[in-house]
Parts: sequence; C-alpha cells; structure tokens
Amino acid sequence: MDEGNSFFTNEPMLEMYIFETSNLIEQLEEILMKVEESERLSEDEINEIFRIMHTIKGSSAMMMISNITKLAHSMEDLFYYVRENKNLEADVSKLSSKTLESLDFIKAEISKIKDGIMADGDENELVEDIKEYLGLISGDKSIEIKREPNNKKQRYYISPGSTIKEETMRKFIVKVTFEKDCQMENIRAYTVIHNLKDSCKELFHLPKDLIEDANCTNYIVLNGFVIYITTPKTKEEIKELIEMEVFVKTIDIEAVEEFDENILEVQEENKKVDVRIYVPETAVQEKEITAPSMKQNIISVNVNRLDKLMDMVGEIVITESMVIKNKDLEGLSLDSFNKAAIQLRKLTDELQDIVMAIRMVPISLVFTKMHRVVRDMSKKLGKEVELEIIGEETEVDKNIIDNISDPIMHLIRNCMDHGIEENDERVDKGKQRKGRVMLEAKNTSGEVVIKVIDDGKGLDKQKILSKARKNGILTKDESDMTEREIFGLIFVPGFSTKEEVTEFSGRGVGMDVVKKNIEKVGGSVFIESVFDIGTTINIKIPLTLAIVDGMEVSVGSSVYTIPIMSIKESFKMKREELIIDTSGNEMVMVRGNCYPIMRLHELFKVETKNTNIEDGIIVMVEAGDRIICLYADALLGEQQVVVKPLPPYLSRYITKECGIAGCTILGDGNISLILDTAGIINGVI
Amino acid sequence: MKNILLVDDALFMRYALRLMLEPMGHNIVGEASNGRDAVNLFKRVKPDLVLMDITMPELDGLGALKEIMLIDATAKVIMISAMGRELIIREAILLGAKGFIVKPFVEKTVLKVLEKM
Repeated sequence: MDEGNSFFTNEPMLEMYIFETSNLIEQLEEILMKVEESERLSEDEINEIFRIMHTIKGSSAMMMISNITKLAHSMEDLFYYVRENKNLEADVSKLSSKTLESLDFIKAEISKIKDGIMADGDENELVEDIKEYLGLISGDKSIEIKREPNNKKQRYYISPGSTIKEETMRKFIVKVTFEKDCQMENIRAYTVIHNLKDSCKELFHLPKDLIEDANCTNYIVLNGFVIYITTPKTKEEIKELIEMEVFVKTIDIEAVEEFDENILEVQEENKKVDVRIYVPETAVQEKEITAPSMKQNIISVNVNRLDKLMDMVGEIVITESMVIKNKDLEGLSLDSFNKAAIQLRKLTDELQDIVMAIRMVPISLVFTKMHRVVRDMSKKLGKEVELEIIGEETEVDKNIIDNISDPIMHLIRNCMDHGIEENDERVDKGKQRKGRVMLEAKNTSGEVVIKVIDDGKGLDKQKILSKARKNGILTKDESDMTEREIFGLIFVPGFSTKEEVTEFSGRGVGMDVVKKNIEKVGGSVFIESVFDIGTTINIKIPLTLAIVDGMEVSVGSSVYTIPIMSIKESFKMKREELIIDTSGNEMVMVRGNCYPIMRLHELFKVETKNTNIEDGIIVMVEAGDRIICLYADALLGEQQVVVKPLPPYLSRYITKECGIAGCTILGDGNISLILDTAGIINGVI
Repeated sequence: MKNILLVDDALFMRYALRLMLEPMGHNIVGEASNGRDAVNLFKRVKPDLVLMDITMPELDGLGALKEIMLIDATAKVIMISAMGRELIIREAILLGAKGFIVKPFVEKTVLKVLEKM
C-alpha cells in the first residue's frame, strides 16, 4: 500500500473493495480447482481468469494498493497471451499453480487490509516468476504484449488529499562512493539501483554491467558509481533511498536539464563501458471497476442489522403472547378477538420463518473451500486423495458457518495426515489407490448433521487407550468405557502432546479446540471408526433458533421451558417401574432400554410437594445421542419462547454445565428458565 | 537496542557476533545453526533483526530468507557472506534481504549496519 491516508479515511470504498475482491478470489479458486481436476483449461476458463485478474487489477489500482495491482497486472498479461495464442503449449498445472500462488498473495494482502494493517507484501518474486514463465512459453526473451494503447487518463473515485497534477520530473546525475574495504562494491551498487528503481522513470548507470563484469568492482572503487536518473522525487528523497545501502560513503547529486551530452561524453571517455538504459514499466492505466456479474440476485447485508432484525422479531413474539394471553382477557368470550389472534399468530410465524431463512446460507460456502485444502495436503503429503461432497446445498445459519469452517478444515487435514494411508500401502491392503474423503451435510428436524468420512486406516483403540494412559487423561476405568468414549479421548485436551503434533494437523489447533468450537455453537461431535476400513466424524448442530418451540413444565412454583426439539416423549410413571441401581440412582425402563431419571427439583433445589414418582411427569429428552428422563411436576403447555441470554450479573455464578441455556419471558410476564438438555445430560452421565 | 537472531553454522561466528553486539546493549534472542531452525526460531521469537549466514546445512541462508520473508515481509535480514558469492547476494537482495556483510568483518562494520537498521 502506498498512501496510508486516502484509503483509510474512506471506509465504504474499502469495505466494497474487500467484499468484491474476496468474492472474486473465491470464484477464481473454484475455477482453478476444476481446472486442476480436469487437467484442462477451457477457453471460457481462460477468459474468466483473465477477466477476474483484470478486475482485481483495476480496483486495486484505485485503492492505490500497488503490490496487488502489479501482481494482478502480470497475471493478466500472462492470461492475455494464453488467450490470444490458442495453439499454445502451456503446462496447465503450471499455469494453475502460479495463479493459485498469486491468489494466496492477494488473499494475504487483503487479510492485512481487513485487519487494518499495511498491505506491504512484496509481489516482486511472484511477478518475476510469472514474467519468466511468460517469456518461456512465448519463446521470447523480451516479452512484448501487443495491446491496444490505453489512452484513458487515470481516474480516481477516491480523491487523495491533494488534487492530482502532472508530477514534475527531475533529472539528476548522482555519483556514489562506498566505504573503503567494504567489499563487493558491484553488488552494493546493485543494491542501490534496486532501492532506486521503483522511484525512477528512467535510470542509467555506469558501469553498466554490475554482475558479470569482473572489472567493474575495481572501477567503482577507483571512480565511484555514477547514476543518471529521471525521477519525480526530490534530491533529499533520492539521497535517502541511496543511503539504504549501509556502506555508501559519499553521495554527490547534481540536478541537470538534460542527459544526452553527458552520456555521450562518458561514452567517449571509456569506450569499453557502455551505458545501459533501464526503463521500468509505465504506470498502470486505470479503468472503472466493473462489478462482477453475480450469479444470483443478491445484496449484501450487514450481519449486525440481521441480528437486530432477529431480536426484533423475537420481541414481537413475546409481546404477541403478552397480548393474547393477557390476564385481563381471562374468562371473556372473545370469538372475533380469537379469530384475529390466530391470524396474527400466523403472520408472526411467517415473519419468523422468513427472518430465519435470511440468515441461512448454503454450507457449500464452507465445503467448496475444502477442495483447496485437500489439494494442498495431497501435494504436501504425496498422497492422492479425492474429496466427495454430498448435500452442499444444505442450509445452515450464518453464525454456524463462521464457526464451523476452521474445525472442518482441521478435521480434513487430520484425516488426510493420520487416517488415509500412503497410496501404495492402500493398494497392498486391497483398497482403492486413491484415498477417499467424503463431506456430507443434511438437515434433520432441527439439526444439521455434518460428517467427515474417510476410508483410511481407522482408529486403533489400544493405541488410543495407551496414549491416554501415558498422558494421564483417563478418568474412567478402561473396561467401563464404550467404544465411543474411547474414541472420544482424542478430543480431551492433553491427548496429543506438542511434540507429536505435525506441521499440518496440529500446531495449536488440535482436536480439543475443534470440539470446543463445535460446542460453542451448541453442537456435539463424536467419532465412529472401524480399524482398517475408515473413520467417520459426526457433527450435530442444532439450528440456532433464537425462537424455539418450548414445553413449559412446572417444578414447585417455578416454570422451566424444555426445548421441544429435545423432547422424545413424556409419560406418567408407575411406582413399580422405578428401578434403583447399585449406586442408588433412579432409573426407568422404556421399551427395553434403561434411562437415568433426573429430578428437576433436586437438580435445581426447588421445593415441591411432588416427590412421589407417580405424581409428577417424566419427560424423556435427548441431546447428541444420549437420553435421559427428567422428572417435573406437570406439563403446562407448549409455548413459543424467545431465548434470551442470562443477564451478565448471573454469569459469574452460572457455568456451562449447570443446565440452563437461557431465559425467556412468558406470556404472563413471568420468567422461565430454559433448560440446556445437553448440559444436564453431560452433567449426569 | 535490538532483539537479534543469530544464524550461522559456526559456533565461533555466533560467539563473535554476540561479543560484538551485547556490550552495545543489543539483545541476542536466539541462535540457530541451520536455516530450518532459523525459520522456526524466527516464528517463535520474532526478532527485530536477523543476521544470517548463507552456507548452512539443511536449509541454506537463501532458503531460510525466503521462508522468513513469507512469514513476515517486513523482517530485517542481513546476510553474512564470504567473498565472491555475488550472484547469491543479488538473489538475497531480490528476495528481500536488507543488506549484507562480507566476511571477514570488523566490529565497526557490524555496528554500523545495526545503526542503519
């Protein structure tokens, strides 16, 4: 980034630039993944890549971000050539690799800009590499891109502080000498040129050949190093640039009107040394940013506004309840009113659905990124792996998308690194040579189920147990643990020690962090695996509804709400059905399965008259795939509730495992605490 | 007062640099004897300046420089080189090295470089 001022002060332009460029980058990445898979580059794809680079170049130049501009420009040149020369023999994989490298650079710079840091990455190496490659495929040492001369003037949508005027060019003759015995004066001179060249429109130097000519070092020691420059910079600025090379001793700068005579003179004096002309590229000519043609009709909405909208709808639902179930209306016969109330209810339901739908985005946003991850890992590990994606049109709440991307990326890296065997090993085992990783997503009644499936070598229970033993994280007796619990040890912090963590799948991420991130959005994760066959990682995430359908239950004088989603069934128990286990815990048998009973009045220490198991009601709830039976006094009825977080002054006392997910206001104005079924179950079992 | 990472496969060189730099109030925050260790150390320690030898086992100075520049494009790396390795130095400059010192060097040289950085 050249000028700090103009773009930091222009927030909306910056946001748009970041938004658009990020989208273009994603588009381009998708194209390249297809290209790599098909190993072909179609004419359409070439055009698309050219166009995207052209657009990025244009907008980056507007934002005066020179490194991205220069890089995009060189990529554009490359693809222009490819486009114009249809019978080209270009290596498709090389082309796509170089483009991906450039993309990564641009991504990194955009990321810096997003964080408010200078985009100061050096694009030169990439640019040189691209130019070199272009030279190679065009069979030309001096690459001439035949393009129509661009006569348009530079146009800026952001005006930098001052008005733009033609920069005055100055000409200087500079003589530089270096410290005695500093060594390699020729390279020092090279460094000086390197530091100057971006600021000069023209630059000639004497001696000409700094690298190959063995005599030039001596020449410089005896006579100094002379540079002829045409630059908009001032004398002081040029001096500063030259002084960047530490061993510069003296700098003599003379401003001149013209060079020509001097150069001729010098040439006369020493016929051996001829002057070489160094002309940097002409400045990039700008065109307008054309918005990329979006594939669908989409507008971008600030997420904060969406959240506010959600909150508002929630308030409407509560208030609607307060109106319809108002005490004042008790006992009145209100036919017409009731009809209207039903109508209102219908509308608020619809409103709710629509707002929910707005927040839903297809999970493909996360899944398609994984192609790149698999490709990169494949290359790094030298394992051929293919990725299959099922159900990418499944929609999830935006909030989930943001939190699920990193965990899934890590899981895929992990299974490719540790799960999938080397290709040859697989063939020996009788498996398909290419490893297979499958990403699956589907919606099931209020939950999103995501699976990461691989056909690798599976998990070794014994290895896991011994590792857990070694690292001291076993909390249960080994013989008591189910297969799922054993596999679950992988998620315990401390399972993998730092030394074992490989470059790809570890490094401060770790399975424990994955689990934490999934649980942060209210989800759960568990592993299934068969030795030598493969491993499946199951992730379940409840749809983050701020508005849930809840069942109100009474416990003493308190009212609790249980999310209907987690209720499997409810029933009244007979005393004979009560079972007590060896530790004194209450359990009930339902259709052949035994479930623990959790008395809510005991859990929350609420006083109630109903202590007889027959007097209250049993509500069977499920979370993840564990089931427990809750004992409450009575069912009060279904209620739509808006989940509000617990107030901050309580957060000191309430921990995650206490069993309360939030609170809500009932139609009669009272507060009901919403149960966190997962938390309760985890606390009990 | 700078935090400096010394990279050279010769213990002698690292020792010499340390003796030159510490009395001047600079902080040696790490030493590495090959490029690979240098890169890892750089990531951990984030020095103000790296003094890096070119010829080293595992990963040489240029390779390490390359990786360090990718980690932090503003990293200040000064190459230390024997005479006659011109093309490599040029390469290093292009890769982003901020300067170079030629062996053998004197204390004055090193301190001068530090000043400028």
